[in-house]
Amino acid sequence: MAKNEHLAQIITGCKDGDGESFSQIVDMYSGRCYGYFYRLTGNREVSDDLLSELFVKLVEKIKSYHGGSFENWLFRIASNLFYDYLRVKQREKKLLDYQQQQQLELEKPPGRQYDSERIDKLQVQLGKLDADTRELIMLRFYSQLSFKEIAQMRTEPIGTTLSKMHRGLNKLRKLME
Amino acid sequence: MDEQKQENLDELFGKFLGQKEAKQAAYDIQKAEQMLAEYPAPQPDAVLLESIKQRMTDALSYERENNFSRVFYKMVSVAAVLILMTVISVMLFTNGRTEKLNGDLVMTAAIWESEDIAADDANLATLIAQTEEIESEMLALQLGENGGNGSGGLTELEMELEQINSDFWKG
Repeated sequence: MAKNEHLAQIITGCKDGDGESFSQIVDMYSGRCYGYFYRLTGNREVSDDLLSELFVKLVEKIKSYHGGSFENWLFRIASNLFYDYLRVKQREKKLLDYQQQQQLELEKPPGRQYDSERIDKLQVQLGKLDADTRELIMLRFYSQLSFKEIAQMRTEPIGTTLSKMHRGLNKLRKLME
Repeated sequence: MDEQKQENLDELFGKFLGQKEAKQAAYDIQKAEQMLAEYPAPQPDAVLLESIKQRMTDALSYERENNFSRVFYKMVSVAAVLILMTVISVMLFTNGRTEKLNGDLVMTAAIWESEDIAADDANLATLIAQTEEIESEMLALQLGENGGNGSGGLTELEMELEQINSDFWKG
């Protein structure tokens, strides 16, 4: 409860245009949001851009947040940004086979890529799931929202969300074995 | 992810599956989520976070400026509407006077639009000559040079003036 009150105070600060409050929001949510973007794109540069876009959007849209779950509101923006990114990629026809592309990204010299083999393995297997299922799994994992909230966000029946999640996670587990 | 919202997954799945299947589905999900937790994603680096905070500060300044501009333009728009309404009201109020002015202008235009310049000049010359004649007669009357009946002379002059006036405007 105290945590919620603290968050509410920070959000009030953000609405008043207080830079320090925005800075606190970045410290609180950047890790989870970055993980969400990274697991979906498999690319650190793209994740950097999406994370920047997300927090700039937060400044622009904070006045439209009228209570309720802040995570829900924030990850809705994050999800929209991810789908916008996918649309742009498809429009440019640079992504004929998203999974193939992602595979190629992983085969690039390490550079800024995360250098753990285990993480790469998960990333490779995630790339074998369709974008929608992958987004659903990552949304659940990083946003920490309930299935009910996720279903509402995706405007689909909760049964559909549960079913997709169950199938997706089972497939991922098998791929990882 | 230990803060993840706790839900009774058995109950949730139980609404769509049999009891046994629901239990299994809930277990599958928990297991898979544990597996995801074993593979933490990379974290954003400090340089990126600093640049994001800087971008947010810039966006905040822009928002403030934008708000100021928005308020300014709103005020200017309101002022413009008020001025426009005032101008329209004044125009409606003075409408009768404007029409009168327009009438005068039409008459003036009719005179100056005459194409028979020679005839107009002749008329004007006659008018000037007669006016001069009347002037001298008036002067003579005032001085009593005629020496006769002063009131008869005035009546004659008046008739002459009327004659000149009707002749000139007939053209």
